[in-house]
Amino acid sequence: MVDNSMISEEELFQVVGPGWKTYEVQKRKKTFREKLKGKPVFSMILLLIVVLGCVFANLVANHDPSGFYLRNLNTPPGREFIFGTDSLGRDIYSLIWYGGRVSLVIGISGAAIITVIGVTYGCISGTAGPKVDSVLMRFTEMCGSIPTLLMILILSAVFQADDVISISVIIGITGWFALARIVRSEVRQIRNSDYVMYARLCGGGFGYVMYYHLIPNFVSAIMFVVISSVSSCITMESTLSFLGLGLPADVVSWGSMLSLANKALIMNTWWVIVIPGVFLVVTLMCITNVGSFVRSEVNNKYSNL
Amino acid sequence: MNKENKIGARILKRIILFAVVMFLLSVVVFWMARLAPGDPLQSFYGDSLEMMTSEEIAAARTRLGLDQGIAVQYVKWLTNAVHGEFGLSLKYRQPVMNVIKPLIGNTLVLGGVAYVVIFTLAILIAIFCTLHEDQWIDRLICKIGTVAFYVPAFWLGVVLILIFSINLGWFPSSGAYDVGMADSIGNRIRHMVLPLVVMILSHLWYYAYMIRNKFLDEVRKDYVLLARAKGLSKRKILWKHCLRNVMPTIVSIMAVSVPHVTGGTVTVEAVFNYAGIGNLAVESAKYHDYNLLMVDVLITGFIVFLSSFIAQTVNEEIDPRMKDSEVRVW
Repeated sequence: MVDNSMISEEELFQVVGPGWKTYEVQKRKKTFREKLKGKPVFSMILLLIVVLGCVFANLVANHDPSGFYLRNLNTPPGREFIFGTDSLGRDIYSLIWYGGRVSLVIGISGAAIITVIGVTYGCISGTAGPKVDSVLMRFTEMCGSIPTLLMILILSAVFQADDVISISVIIGITGWFALARIVRSEVRQIRNSDYVMYARLCGGGFGYVMYYHLIPNFVSAIMFVVISSVSSCITMESTLSFLGLGLPADVVSWGSMLSLANKALIMNTWWVIVIPGVFLVVTLMCITNVGSFVRSEVNNKYSNL
Repeated sequence: MNKENKIGARILKRIILFAVVMFLLSVVVFWMARLAPGDPLQSFYGDSLEMMTSEEIAAARTRLGLDQGIAVQYVKWLTNAVHGEFGLSLKYRQPVMNVIKPLIGNTLVLGGVAYVVIFTLAILIAIFCTLHEDQWIDRLICKIGTVAFYVPAFWLGVVLILIFSINLGWFPSSGAYDVGMADSIGNRIRHMVLPLVVMILSHLWYYAYMIRNKFLDEVRKDYVLLARAKGLSKRKILWKHCLRNVMPTIVSIMAVSVPHVTGGTVTVEAVFNYAGIGNLAVESAKYHDYNLLMVDVLITGFIVFLSSFIAQTVNEEIDPRMKDSEVRVW
């Protein structure tokens, strides 16, 4: 359409001499803005703020998190106590940063346990013979159909879990079933490929093959599950502590801060309930956003393998 | 072999598997309950244990059957359980079934209503989003849904109590009914509104999103193009053609979702102090009442396994492709 009549035939079929240069694409350096495009910048910044704030809680907090300011019970948010105080007179602003440490540690260590158990179990089940495989998978299906919260209830009651390590172990060992199933189906697809067979023929053991051949192949498929299991562990811990079965109220986490909610409801002090909860939800969402970004990123990287 | 025999054989196989799973579950739960620290006598007799002589303690141990090996104890418990006797609750000091019986109905109603509403709404939302794919309303629903999904159920419950019962006073904040109003259905419904809202909001999006994605795959198939070409309206295609094809997937999702929804009732019941077996499980875990906890978990497990068993059987019957399929619940 564009001015076809204006171009004469000579111009269309121009004879090009030796001095003629082709049009070169100018490679412009990407601006900072363009580099950030498509990445969950907002979530990353928020997450970074939360994580740094928790790591350097002693610098960020302006009050002693274990201090009871008895003259200032249930103070609404204000100058001195930025987010107010709860019914025990503790400063919520300081508690949030110190409590975040515990919540994040439980989230990360729980996710680590889930990943290790899930990946190992999935690899064993994926490479095993049909009988062992079906027994192993039946086991995960059976455990997976018991409500997780009930399983954790039994375990935490039986083993009297009330410190950070035992809680993350309990959350970890009840959360890996879905991951194991994904890993197993991925391993099934690649276990018969030539390079795995070659590695086996060269004498590579199970651990070697798993580490060098299997895991690099399915890492993209499980990355999202691994990262979102951090947020599910944090949720689980806060639910448990809220129900009074997790951390005791003197070990501060976002969940155990919310376990004072009943008192706050009676006093009608909204800030005790809403502020830690908002921190919790925002962190969970940021983790998931970053997770779904990593999924697409890793997919790009490994798609040709 | 004719077709009916095959169905019968499959169902029989399922029932056997079901029995095996229940047996394994009971063994594990029993073993765990006995492994638990804390003397069962202590919780049974409380402080009066300290007043008892060592002979009396030994006699009590024999009477409660605590001096035998765990296998013997299990066999004894199982024989009693078959006759409907599940032992004593150590906290309430009465047969476990007497404690649990009045509560099962409440939980079943709460969970059942929530389950039905969740999936009805999920299908409606999924179809609505498919009709408006990638328009602003679809994106808005997706965003709101994602946020709702990441709000922990217990916090949502507490916030709703704060807003609707404490500040607005529209709904009661706890319990399944007011004292003396156990027979009034209206009163029970008023108590159920907030727990139901929490259950629905915290589960709805997960399933609606899965079904929506399934629908989006479905509308890209050729038969939809044909239906469009012959002049059917979009709505009609979705309701009459796509929904039928997606239905087996929805039923599978429903089967897998039973444990999630049941787990949801535990949190919600505890937050609203709703008299149900979920709340009872939390209470008995707090007070180390293992006998009660054990039966509670077994009953919940039974309900969960039974519902996924039914869903899976139904699924195989309505969709012949599902036989020997990869979608297994257990």
